[in-house]
Amino acid sequence: MVLTPEKQTTKLPPSTHEFADIIHRLEAGGSMLPDTPENLMQIIGIYKAYAVPMDFYWRDLLYIAEQVFLDPFPFFKYFISDEYLQRHNHYAGDDADLRIWRGPATAHPELLEFMEKGETTKMPKLLHHLLHDRVNMEFAEACMRAMLWHRHMYAPVNQFDAYLDSDEYRANADRAIKAYFKRNPLMMGMYKLFPEMFIEQCRQMSYYSNLGLFWEVMAPVFFEMSDIYDEGGFKGVPDAMNFLVNGIFAIAGRPIYHHVYVDGECYEVIPKSKGFTWLYEAALPYVEAVFYRTAPFRGTKSYNAQAGQVPDKQTDFHYGILYADVFPVGTAGIPPTLLMQDMLHFLPKYLKDYYLQHCRGDEDILIQLGITFQRSMYNVTSAVIQALRTALLYPLDDPNPKHLQANREFFEMQIGRFCRPEYGMRDAARLRQIQSQEYR
Amino acid sequence: MLSVLIWAPILGALVVAVLPKKLPAGNVRFVSLFIAGLVFLWNLFILLKFDVINPGMQLTEYLPWNETLGLNYQLGADGLSILMLVLNSFLTWIAIYSSSKQTERPRLFYSLILLISGGVAGAFAAQNLLLFFLFYEFELIPFYLLISIWGGERRAYAGIKFLIYTAVSGALILASFLGIVWLTGAKSFAMDTISVQGLSSGLQLLLLVGVVIGFGIKIPLVPFHTWLPDAYVEASAPIAILLGGVLAKLGTYGLLRFGLGLFPDAWSVIAPTLAIWGAASAVYGTVTAVAQKDIKRMVAYSSVGHMGYILLAAAASTPLALVGAVAQMVSHGLILAMLFHLVGVVEAKAGTRELDQLNGLMSPIRGLPLTSALLVLGGMASAGIPGMTGFVAEFIVFQGSFAVFPIPTLMCVVATGLTAVYFVILLNRTCFGKLDNNLAYYPRTLWSEKIPGLILAALIIYLGFQPNNLVRWSEPTTTAMVAAIPAIEKTVTPQVAMK
Repeated sequence: MVLTPEKQTTKLPPSTHEFADIIHRLEAGGSMLPDTPENLMQIIGIYKAYAVPMDFYWRDLLYIAEQVFLDPFPFFKYFISDEYLQRHNHYAGDDADLRIWRGPATAHPELLEFMEKGETTKMPKLLHHLLHDRVNMEFAEACMRAMLWHRHMYAPVNQFDAYLDSDEYRANADRAIKAYFKRNPLMMGMYKLFPEMFIEQCRQMSYYSNLGLFWEVMAPVFFEMSDIYDEGGFKGVPDAMNFLVNGIFAIAGRPIYHHVYVDGECYEVIPKSKGFTWLYEAALPYVEAVFYRTAPFRGTKSYNAQAGQVPDKQTDFHYGILYADVFPVGTAGIPPTLLMQDMLHFLPKYLKDYYLQHCRGDEDILIQLGITFQRSMYNVTSAVIQALRTALLYPLDDPNPKHLQANREFFEMQIGRFCRPEYGMRDAARLRQIQSQEYR
Repeated sequence: MLSVLIWAPILGALVVAVLPKKLPAGNVRFVSLFIAGLVFLWNLFILLKFDVINPGMQLTEYLPWNETLGLNYQLGADGLSILMLVLNSFLTWIAIYSSSKQTERPRLFYSLILLISGGVAGAFAAQNLLLFFLFYEFELIPFYLLISIWGGERRAYAGIKFLIYTAVSGALILASFLGIVWLTGAKSFAMDTISVQGLSSGLQLLLLVGVVIGFGIKIPLVPFHTWLPDAYVEASAPIAILLGGVLAKLGTYGLLRFGLGLFPDAWSVIAPTLAIWGAASAVYGTVTAVAQKDIKRMVAYSSVGHMGYILLAAAASTPLALVGAVAQMVSHGLILAMLFHLVGVVEAKAGTRELDQLNGLMSPIRGLPLTSALLVLGGMASAGIPGMTGFVAEFIVFQGSFAVFPIPTLMCVVATGLTAVYFVILLNRTCFGKLDNNLAYYPRTLWSEKIPGLILAALIIYLGFQPNNLVRWSEPTTTAMVAAIPAIEKTVTPQVAMK
């Protein structure tokens, strides 16, 4: 259990950083997001609305990684099987490995209801799919691809990527691929001709599994936070952040693996025994890839690399949700529109009522929702920063000024990621905007 | 029948003026809208009664008034005026619809609009020079008040400038009318009793110049246009609709009715000068529009340019050119009304009309997507893109004028090309690009704000695809007017064209 002091009496002179106020707030155990009841209400409401589609995302990601695998025509990969829809979450329900949500292990009731009727009416699955009256897996896949494109994050602590390039992984993948295509001579022939292409596809499948396992944890965490809030449990934004920090440490060691099932037989492409963990091999790369980096050409506006509009190094990419312009036009990064559409179906009433009172109400609710999501992800990122500080540095109430200075430098380095003027990050990052309640 | 178009709005204005003070502005607006709607429906009924084949005056009304002065209440409509009457009643309804439900001093505001509607209808229907003048001047004060009370920051300046210019216009027209009657020895101001054939060429030219400059100020033509940008820009959107859509047409109508109609001989003499004047106005208007940073001022200058086409067509005075002139009057009225309405919506929502500040209005959720789409359509129509009424009118004007005045016509064609340039600038800067996150908290656009634009857009497209419904009303009348112009000019000018 990580204890964060409510108020830190700093022994250091004030920071001269551009975002000194936020640095001081982090040093006092707070979040990048200001602690206001309105912010708390928004982020918890959105966690709940996010968790329901996420409950589908993780199931389908695992379904694709384990069952669909390398199907050359995966037309029905979003048509999840009952087995996966009913699959028990390892972190919820009575038979959980590590119970972090008091709710059932099966899919959330609101998700099941939505899958039955969508927002229209009961009709064949194919029609729901074609009409986009469904959970939009495209968003989840875009997140997965962002992780794949930005491989080698947090190396050498993160050993997952290195393993994907190892001979052992190739051998495991080879077994799975041969088993999968054993009755398909055409694809086997293709595999002989272009083995690298198939191995690369398999690596992508491993990332499907990685993200699926990551979200399998996060969905019940968010459900739990929503329940606690409804019971009046959280007193402020730092409470919510600390709940996340504690959750991160509680489940940091959960395994990340990739199993493929062919004719009921399990092929361990990445065995659990490799010891890849949830925090270092999934959570940190996910935050880095999706919150910070993503790609400059995923939105409706593409940036021109030759004109110097795109950073030279992938590590300096800044198109994630923390920088995203949530307007659907003229933005880059992972298009938030589909996620906003997904979350819209599961908004708690208090949050929907709140949106109806502001801006254009129902008309621009997707934008308001996207900005709340941005706020909530700043809070999640704050939790990750605090967790990293806890793991790598010193307590916030450490009596040694040198240790406090080290903490400060760490915080300043983290916040500095929103301040690189040479790449226009200062303007792109929404850290400044979320300090105001008027940013909607 | 025509009297209803004059007196119903005037009586309506009185009714609105005496509505209870406590009545909310929205209710006053509704009453005014109802009255304007009834007048418009009556106008449509008159349109059904109108004999399209007959080139002469129809639906005439006569009431002796002051025989000593030669002033009688004499009304009538022909192919030239019937469409103007419809345009007037329609745009009055649109202007009232596009006004805010929170207009301050609503009873006075809507009364003045209805007074203008009645006055303009009277001017279009009057068949007596003095009666025309009375109605022509009748709308002056209401317009002045509407600009000066409900206008923008520089409304007082714009209002006074408008008043002075149009008063001078009125004085010149009155002087010309008096000159016509006194010099010809006519016993009445009735148009059907006046003939200037007995006057010398010099006198005819002198009187015609008075008429042309008088109405040229009203249209306005360069260099008498300087009141226009200020008045159009400072006036609120509904009043700008009336100024551009109706008042300017009074000028072009007067030019055709009294310039071409009363002075066919002198007209053919000054026609080449008028054609060059029209082309110069068109080029000046469009070039100046390109340089504007204020979208309302840009639209205002576009009006100067488009009025030049009408003068060119009137100067050419071929049957096709005159049909084009009338079509352009209607088309310009509809397009300008739409553009002013949309610019008004943009200003109301974004709080600015500056090109440098507006951006990304096409953004689907936080922008003004429908308003932007209609603005694109309005820009296309104004630039003469096929499929819309602007193309039909301009094409007929150019087709009808080219054989007579090829160089001025080509100048106008260049001007219409430049129209596309400034509208591309306007649309590119305002509608496209990225909506600024920090500014984009615009209020939602209400259906009551969308409907006028949608109606006008539908009409613009409909008349673009069915131009016959635009031109058939005026064709017999304009053909008859052309027949009165000396044949010698029509044989000389093609030779000029051939050279």
